[in-house]
This record gives sequence, structure tokens and C-alpha cells, in this order.
Amino acid sequence: MLRRAVLQTFRQGLAQSFFKRNAVSLSETTVTHQPIETSDEADEKSVSKQKPGDESGNTVVVAPPEFRFMYPEFLPDPAMERRNRLKEKLERIDMLQRRSVVEIPEFYTGSVMAVTVADANSPNKFARFVGICIQRGGSGLRAWFILRNVVDKQGVEILYEMYCPLIQKIEVLRLERRLDESLLYLRDALPEYSTFPLDMEPERRLNNSVVPINPLKVKLRPRPWLERWERQNLQGVEDLNLPQRFYDKAEKVAKPWEKYDLMLQYRKTIPAEEQEKIFADVHSQLQQQEFKRKIRRRRGIDNEQ
Amino acid sequence: MLSIVFHKRRRLVRRLFFNHEQVRTMSRVKRRTTHPPYWHVLKNNQRQDEKISSDNLRFVREVIQDKYKNKSPIKGSDLDIEKKEWDPKTKRSGVIARNIGVQHMWEKDGKKVVCTVLHVLDNHVIRYVPPEEYAKSIIGAKVFRNRKPLGCLVVGAEAANPDRFTRQYCSLFSEVGLLPKKRLARFIVTPNAVLPPCTPLTAGHFVIGQAVDVYGKTIDYGFQGVVKRWGFKGGPASHGATKFHRRGGTIGTGRDKARVWPGQKMPGHMGSERRFCRGLKIVRINMKYNVIYVKGTVPGPTNSIVQIFDTLLPRRKFTEAPPHPTYFPPEDGTLPQEDIWDSSLHVFGSPSISV
Repeated sequence: MLRRAVLQTFRQGLAQSFFKRNAVSLSETTVTHQPIETSDEADEKSVSKQKPGDESGNTVVVAPPEFRFMYPEFLPDPAMERRNRLKEKLERIDMLQRRSVVEIPEFYTGSVMAVTVADANSPNKFARFVGICIQRGGSGLRAWFILRNVVDKQGVEILYEMYCPLIQKIEVLRLERRLDESLLYLRDALPEYSTFPLDMEPERRLNNSVVPINPLKVKLRPRPWLERWERQNLQGVEDLNLPQRFYDKAEKVAKPWEKYDLMLQYRKTIPAEEQEKIFADVHSQLQQQEFKRKIRRRRGIDNEQ
Repeated sequence: MLSIVFHKRRRLVRRLFFNHEQVRTMSRVKRRTTHPPYWHVLKNNQRQDEKISSDNLRFVREVIQDKYKNKSPIKGSDLDIEKKEWDPKTKRSGVIARNIGVQHMWEKDGKKVVCTVLHVLDNHVIRYVPPEEYAKSIIGAKVFRNRKPLGCLVVGAEAANPDRFTRQYCSLFSEVGLLPKKRLARFIVTPNAVLPPCTPLTAGHFVIGQAVDVYGKTIDYGFQGVVKRWGFKGGPASHGATKFHRRGGTIGTGRDKARVWPGQKMPGHMGSERRFCRGLKIVRINMKYNVIYVKGTVPGPTNSIVQIFDTLLPRRKFTEAPPHPTYFPPEDGTLPQEDIWDSSLHVFGSPSISV
């Protein structure tokens, strides 16, 4: 009886996941134009979010769906040959341990951040770098992000590993998203789009609940470029003003059938049921850590007063 | 300064006198087979579409449970410790594990270290073959041709449903009363490190900071060309090269011997070969999940089975007694430390490193 019920729910889950994947794309390549809610708002809304799941009548706590954008490094690499549930579980435990010591805030490509790293060669033994996040990737403890800034007319990019113990502090000075998931075109853009003052103060957001999307269209320098930007469907770039032959070649080389390729999408993503399980696991711990930090901050303010 | 120059000279000398004969003789050795040795018992059941009713299936399952349920694990107090004193020449048993992936960790000075995560499966000792008997077997005779014979412990891992195996295979385990195991391995042991059958082996068998050797079968690349298999340079990609981009080129001189030498490097099957990674350091042991973190990488793809045992490298052997003959959890019910880290590693829950 139990086996039949389990098989039924499994089949339903499969069908549901299929439709979920069709309806809401879970891959990184698409751009969602809906503003994403922050952790605060998500907390208020869905602390009590519960699923009437189990046969035994126990309610199951489920993390808010925005978690897959806020904490994408908790999802493992989708390549099936290298997946192992036990190893992913142990890695998640280690990630949460590290997060209990250092606050790794929610950020997106396009956010301006400041990272303080222990550096033996610096005069203060700490090096602070401010820059805009142009790309982020990796899964688990290998998660990384790249910050870009222009210092003394020289473009500088630094790749930081999020869970490296040399990192002392990660601050998000401006939390926002851009129209693209990867801002590598800033390397070929005019330098003012990548310049941020090194002593920039953290900006207070007016509307705390929603992460704004900056609809900025960046102007590129004249060619030659590092990549063929006309072939990449970039939303955040001004009209490239190239001769028609570039666009013709781009059309020849394009793969418009990929957006209909379900199996490609499937292989690039973790199924929705697994994502739910992973984030449900992680959700409660992250909430506890956030709570402790708020208390510490409040105590800090009180002590100062 | 003098020592560096000396090493350089030695390396040059070694290159000049490369032993071609060794390569030629080893090229005739068969390196892989798809079938097990002929003295092995047939293992897997031929799947037959037997239409068994669900009631009968349930009954079969109950019978299996009854047959295998009364075996209790061997405790430390069951062994007579007087016979089993450790000395530096002792060879302990090894362990069968699964390579579950690679995790990045950091040392206390901030240097990143790539560690392989090895999950020690449910190992049990199946049988002990004493030295005299083992020296008479086919493999034992080869191993101990010119030296004093040692004993052999047969260890099994990953218990499975007896339905999928043949009766002869299950009989290997029935004397011991264990559920048949999917994987078997043999470990050479000295007589003072013998373990009785049904002894469980866990991650606690190893010590933090010790060096281990890991045996595995390398990644199977299939039939590969000469560029990937032997690292040949191939030919130019352009400049008029006609059909010569990834080929081998010449395979002999035409003068000397006037034939292709055996062992000539050519395309062929690459990978799926026995290899040992020696002297890997254990940097972390998780006793709760039976997982070992080893510094470096091991042969084989993720989720493949490997064998781990104490290193043969003479300078990295034990100076103090390890858990001998194996680790047994304390009988007074106190739980051991769940997660043990090497002193060189940065523990994730501890504060950030400041240089």
C-alpha cells in the first residue's frame, strides 16, 4: 500500500517537475524581468510557508522559491556522472559552518561589493577591494565571483572564492541586478561604466523588499572587442552599430532551436523536487544565523549608545 | 646548491639510458579483461522473468531477514590481545571505499588543498587465508615467490539482496552468516593483524595524518588516438597539411630490425587500468558518516570503488601503534569525536585566517 502510494507520488512529482521546468525556466541563461524579493521580505512572507505534504499529517517546511536565486551555490553541479548525495550533504554542512563565521550576503551580477581579504603583503595585512560583480559561478565550496573596477585608468578584475577562509568581510554596497546574467562586456565598454570609488559607502535602499533591476544600456568602445558581442543576445548594451554582414554571420551561426530543447534544459538544471529538499534543509539554518547576526548588530548599537 | 646540480646530472643520465627492453616486454602483458579469473565463482544471477505473487515475494523477504538477522558485530573484547601486539613490520588490513568526489579545503596559511572524499562502505571481514595456504594459490605463489609468505584477509563491502546473486556466490558468505556483498577484496596481512570473520571495518581504522595508498582502476577513455593516449604532437592545423593533424607519423626506421618494434605507441584502448596512488595523507575523518578526506586525487572516476591501505613507502610508515588490528568503538557507550581534523587544516567553523 505504502509502496503504491510512494510510486504514485513519485509519478505525480515527475509530471509536476516536467511542467514546472517548462513553465518557469530554472537555468541561468534566461533573464527574468520580475524583480526578486529579498531575504527580509521572503522571511516575512514565508516563515510559515508549509506544504500539506505527508501522509502522516505532519506539515513540511519549504524554503521560499527565491532561494535558488539568492543562494545558487547550494545547488550541485548538474552533471550526473559526478553527483553523489552524501558528498553534497557534507559539503552543505561545511558551507553553513563557514557562513556562521562570515556573513556572505545575498548578491547578484551587477551588484557593487567590497571584499576585505587577509594579505601578508599589504601594509595593514588586510586588502580591501571594491568593484562590480560581473560574473559568478561554481557550486559548493568552489563558488566564486569576479569583481571589476578601474583603478588609475587600469581595469582590474579579481576572482574571489566565496568560502576561502582568508576573506574577512563581504559587503554589498549596492544591491541591484542588471539586464544580463554576465557582464563580461564591461571589459569592452567605456571605463566610466566600470569605475566605482574605492571608498564608496553602502547605499540604503528605499524599497527594502524588492531587488531593483538597473535597465542601464552600456556604450561599448569601438572595435576590436574581446568577444563577438553581436552573437550573444545582450540586453544591457546599446545598439552596436555594426555593418550588416556581422548580423548576417551571427544569424548563420546562431542556434535558435536550443530554446526548444527540453533535454538540454533538463541536463543543465537540478530537478525542482531536489531543489526544494536542498533548500528546505538549508533554510532553517540560514534563518537562525541571520537572527543571531541581527541580535549581535542590535547589541553593538546599544553598546555604542 | 651542490645537491641541486647533482640531481640535474642524475636526471640527464637516466634519460640517456632509457630501458627499451622493459617497455617491449611489458607491451605483451595483457592489461585488462572483461571477464573475471577462471577460478572465480559465477556471481550474478541470470535474470529470469519468474512470475512470483506478491505474497510469495514477501515470504522470501521474511526468510532472508530471518536467516541473516542474528549476527551481532564483533567487539574489541572478543579478540585475544596478547597474540596481537603491534610492531613496525606489521601489515594491517585495508578497507574498501567509494570515491564520492573532490572537495576543496584550506590550510591554516590560506593555501587551497584539493581533497578527495572517500566513503568507507559497510566492510566486513569474510575469511582469513593463512600464509601456507595462500602461498599455494596461483596469485599467492607469484607474490611470495622469493620471500616469506604472509596471510590474506578477504574483506567484503556493500551488502545486497541475495536474490541477485547465484547460490555459489552466496555460499562464500553463508559460513559467516553475512548478507552477500557486492564487492570483495583481498588484503595481505601479517599473522598478528588477523581479524576474525564478521569484524566490521570503519573509517576509524585509519589515523589522522597517516599516509595511505589507494588502489583503483583509472577512468575508462575507450579507444583513443595517439595524441590523447601518448601525448604525441600530431601535425600542423593549417599551412597546407593534408590529412595529417592528429596522426602518429612514422612508426619505424626501416633499417634496424626492419619491422615495427613491439610496444610501438599507437592508438588503442586507454584507461581502465589498475593504478596505485602512494603516500596520500589523511587530513580529515568523519566518524558519523564513515568518510575519509585524503589530500590529493585517487585513480578512477567519481562513484568508483577503491581500496585503501597503509602506505608501503618506507619513510611514511607508522612510528607509533595505530588502532591494531582495527578500530573498535568504545564499549562503555561513549561516542567518539564525530569530525576529526588534521592540525594543518583550517576548520570551517573557526574564525577567518588573518595573516
